[in-house]
Amino acid sequence: MAHRPRSPYAMQPPVMSVVIEKQMDIMIARNTARRTASLLGFSPAAQAQLAGAAATLAELTLKTGDRHELHLNGIRDGFKDGIQLSVATPWLSGAPEGNIMLALRQKVGDLVDEILIETDPSPVIMLMMWQRKDDPHKTS
Amino acid sequence: MAHDVLLIEDSPTQAAQIKATLESVGLQVRVAYDGPDGLRMVLEQKPALIVLDVKLPTMDGFQVCRRLKRAPETASIPVIMLTEKDGAQATMSGLQAGADDYIPKDIFATEHLMNTLQELGLMS
Repeated sequence: MAHRPRSPYAMQPPVMSVVIEKQMDIMIARNTARRTASLLGFSPAAQAQLAGAAATLAELTLKTGDRHELHLNGIRDGFKDGIQLSVATPWLSGAPEGNIMLALRQKVGDLVDEILIETDPSPVIMLMMWQRKDDPHKTS
Repeated sequence: MAHDVLLIEDSPTQAAQIKATLESVGLQVRVAYDGPDGLRMVLEQKPALIVLDVKLPTMDGFQVCRRLKRAPETASIPVIMLTEKDGAQATMSGLQAGADDYIPKDIFATEHLMNTLQELGLMS
């Protein structure tokens, strides 16, 4: 399911997308997430966290049997820089937001800083990770 | 002088492949085939980096990593976990054990390993 990436935060490059329609795409999603996080100056440990979150999200969407597009992009909130993973999930329309959030927290809650679900006009899952000020790899 | 890397990997085939990859970028590699042997070799000669497999006999990679990160004399040595366990839970377990990176052994593993070596300042 294609969607234009959107975010409650200011979006910035790099913007990358991965189509999820077969098992191999999970690996590609993980690789793309690592690359994006590396470009944004995240530490190797943070890159691994984000890659884990991307792979988990890709795996969840793959189970539906439909084609999905996973988007990765930089985000900024004031002086805070981060990265966002998002995927449109129209098949979640009508599902209680609390239940979706609970399931996502169990799956990826330890790997990312924020989980958001936008339901209007159609559900989009957004995962955010922010750069730590004390991260020795921080580039900006 | 080449940086010394300790590789802890129980599979001789995989150890040989990873060793060759690390040596190809000028690193000097010692290999331990289980956790206790690895911990002993770390104390014998402190390496610049430890590349650690998760699935090991006797003591798994998470346990080895925790031991290394708890001991003041080895806590500062970077540890890269290179593993077949690639789920979100396994990634978190590796990072919570103190690993500096957690890389699944897939087709992109070499690329990520090189990238991390560069970020750690171990290759030019």
